[in-house]
Amino acid sequence: MNRHTPSLRALRVASPTPSPGATPAARRSRFRGVPGKVRPFVLPLLLLALFEWYARRAAALGSDALAPPSAAAKAFVGAAMDGSLWQATGFTLGTAALGLLLGAVLGIALGLVLGLSRRAAQLGSVSIEVLRPVPSVALIPLAMLGFGFGVRMELAIVAFATFWPLLVLVQSAVQQVEPRLLEVSRVLGLSSRERAFKIVLPAIVPRLFVALRLGVAVALVVAVTVEIAANPNGMGYAMMIAQQSFDPALMLAWLGWIGVVGFAVNAGMVRLQAWVARRMGVQP
Amino acid sequence: MIAAPAPVTARAALSASAFRSPTVPTMQATPFLCFDGVTIRLGGREILSPTSFDVARGEFVCIVGPSGCGKTTLLRAASGLVSASAGEVRRNGAKMTEPSREVAFVFQDYGRALLPWRTVEGNVSLALEAAGVPAAERAPRIADVLAKVGLAKHAHKFPVQLSGGMQQRAQIARCLAQKPDLMMMDEPFGALDALTRQSLQDELARLVRDDGLTVLFVTHDLEEAIYLGDRVIALQANPGPGRPSLARMIDVKIPRPRDQLTTKEHPEYLHLRRELFAFIEQGHE
Repeated sequence: MNRHTPSLRALRVASPTPSPGATPAARRSRFRGVPGKVRPFVLPLLLLALFEWYARRAAALGSDALAPPSAAAKAFVGAAMDGSLWQATGFTLGTAALGLLLGAVLGIALGLVLGLSRRAAQLGSVSIEVLRPVPSVALIPLAMLGFGFGVRMELAIVAFATFWPLLVLVQSAVQQVEPRLLEVSRVLGLSSRERAFKIVLPAIVPRLFVALRLGVAVALVVAVTVEIAANPNGMGYAMMIAQQSFDPALMLAWLGWIGVVGFAVNAGMVRLQAWVARRMGVQP
Repeated sequence: MIAAPAPVTARAALSASAFRSPTVPTMQATPFLCFDGVTIRLGGREILSPTSFDVARGEFVCIVGPSGCGKTTLLRAASGLVSASAGEVRRNGAKMTEPSREVAFVFQDYGRALLPWRTVEGNVSLALEAAGVPAAERAPRIADVLAKVGLAKHAHKFPVQLSGGMQQRAQIARCLAQKPDLMMMDEPFGALDALTRQSLQDELARLVRDDGLTVLFVTHDLEEAIYLGDRVIALQANPGPGRPSLARMIDVKIPRPRDQLTTKEHPEYLHLRRELFAFIEQGHE
């Protein structure tokens, strides 16, 4: 029996249709030629090709609604060349970052206070529970009245949207600081100021970066939404203009680009978060 | 063979009334540490029933007893982390109401008591920062205590990079940096392997003798209690209404320095070991 095994294995690899007894591993072996790093990109490329084929067919049948990815790529290069791409991207990213900074600073500060003081938490609980569920885009009319069109309106809405998740996550992070560490600080005789800066703040840093990662995603979504709905600036507005001027290729180019920017920002935050967690002594 | 608990209660009563009866010849007017009818109730349950005893300066007192008998609570009360529901703990005659820098506390769960984002050096430094030691004076003092506990070579490592024994050494180093005169230790070696535990026991005995520390040491290991202690106090769980948690007090008159081999063959060690084991067995029936 043993002498037959090698030839059996060879048969299994060569056979295009595995025998009924073949294991999943053996079936997977047909993909062994694809390197692991490339594998996640196989599906997107297939979908793009499918989309290209479908959009071309639709165009041939006389539809203006869709453009094939190749046309979108062309439009993308055009936007990159004339600088409108970078200008709009810079505006959206800059406004999202500034708004997040504003929302995060206020959210972290208030979260710390509410987490450290039970009385403050009780005092603020009702106001927070009432204000938090207000959808941030519902503030667009109010912000337009107050700030008009432009950066300040978008900033205010992004700050509002990012303030709540940071407040709530920081508050719960403070409440979850290892109680033993707080006892250590009591036994060592740390002042309450030292306790906040030397124990509580460093202890919540890993969770804080989880919250910031969430805040970044929220900031980007809200910024683009505000641009689509109201603010005549940035990537969201550029996409709207392309749609309104019947340029589906450029619209798709913006859509794809917004996806790429979101992916890149999130990937950067994941790396930063992992690095911070390692630095602050959290085991991976 | 086994002495009735009567003498203990008598001694406890004496210490409680030490202020009122200065005629007691052997008792100091103000003992270094005095438990005076300390009772602790948490959530409607009596964790520690009225307990009274004195600790002299420089004494090493071990506290043993079954789980749930209030050993840890007793220690926490003595360091001011919890306050007594009735009675009081006095240090140098003053009532303990909150933690003091002169009282160090070594927690059992060293992994959670160390700041994971600070190196060994940084963790020790925390005690000095809390005490307001100027930055320039910290480095030599940190180096000094780290050398004492044998961590000089690991000063720049983070707690996760250390073994359990080394983490506990780091915590002890931080406590020593406080320059305490009283050290509370809550099953500090309970989670360590036997060999590490033995070497840490010997090092602790040496450190305590060198620095003239007074130690309250909670353990569930009777042999450890006899090996380390000048006195062993046994607590009982649920002593019943009106009865004290303190069940037994044994003086350990084995000469120091002690040694893992010869001390454990000493007739007195064997005798006390038998007596304590018999006592604990009795409590389990």
